[in-house]
Amino acid sequence: MSATDVVTSFFEAYRNHDTEQMVDLCDLGADFSYVPFEAWGRQRVVRGDGKVCTIGKTFWTTLIDCFPNLSNDVTWITGDDDGNVAVEVSISGTQAKHFGTIGNQGLHYDLPHVFLFHVDEDDRIDDITAYWDGADWNRQLGRIEVD
Amino acid sequence: MSAAQAVVRDFFEQVQAGDVETALALTAPDGAFQAVPLGVKGTIGGEGREFLDELRRALPDLTLRLTRLFVGRDGTAVAEVFVDGTQADDLFGVVNQEKHFDLKTVWLLPVAGGQIEGIRAYWCQNQLYRRLGVKRLDRVTITA
Repeated sequence: MSATDVVTSFFEAYRNHDTEQMVDLCDLGADFSYVPFEAWGRQRVVRGDGKVCTIGKTFWTTLIDCFPNLSNDVTWITGDDDGNVAVEVSISGTQAKHFGTIGNQGLHYDLPHVFLFHVDEDDRIDDITAYWDGADWNRQLGRIEVD
Repeated sequence: MSAAQAVVRDFFEQVQAGDVETALALTAPDGAFQAVPLGVKGTIGGEGREFLDELRRALPDLTLRLTRLFVGRDGTAVAEVFVDGTQADDLFGVVNQEKHFDLKTVWLLPVAGGQIEGIRAYWCQNQLYRRLGVKRLDRVTITA
């Protein structure tokens, strides 16, 4: 299986809301970084960095719970011979619950993302990094505060 | 380092050095340019040039650090770029408050024949607004 095949399977599992399969496609110690995710408190900033098996699975499960029709459409994918894979993917969904600071107004979003993966020699994802525009996401969901 | 990696690295080094013309000489002027968070689409020689000129004018101490660079089998270079600078002029509609910011970005650059034939850049505009002191998405030009 090629690295791009592994990543294609990852997004198929995501479309099916199969978070167990998403995690199974990853190495146990896989790194996770959702770059735009920042929660600013008075004394510290919580970022979307950690491991797939902890923060990653929690993030995906919560997102699917809050956006029950969450889906994705992979529009471009490429990879090299060293296990690096890049993906442009549009992720969409209709909000049904509060998600973090984004209150539920029942609005729909459709947002371009870039995901970068590394797939190891055992065909396991060992690194996930994602980018999206949080301003566009907030705006589509009716939130205008920059906190 | 492959030729595609070398030309992309050179491109970012020239932008950081403030030499937008030399950076643009590494590109196809009619190639597609897209700054996704800004909703800007056009050509590298048109909207791309305006974007780079504004970036350089607003951030005189700009640094661009490549943190990941690889080239896919379709010839697209994928560059993660850590952007760091201090605002000295209006930037993307945000008034200047002389704030320092850093921002992780990712750029997709199709390369062929030693030339960058397209640019698609992604980052989180919310993070940029937060660092530049913007409080509301409907009042980007008002920071108080």
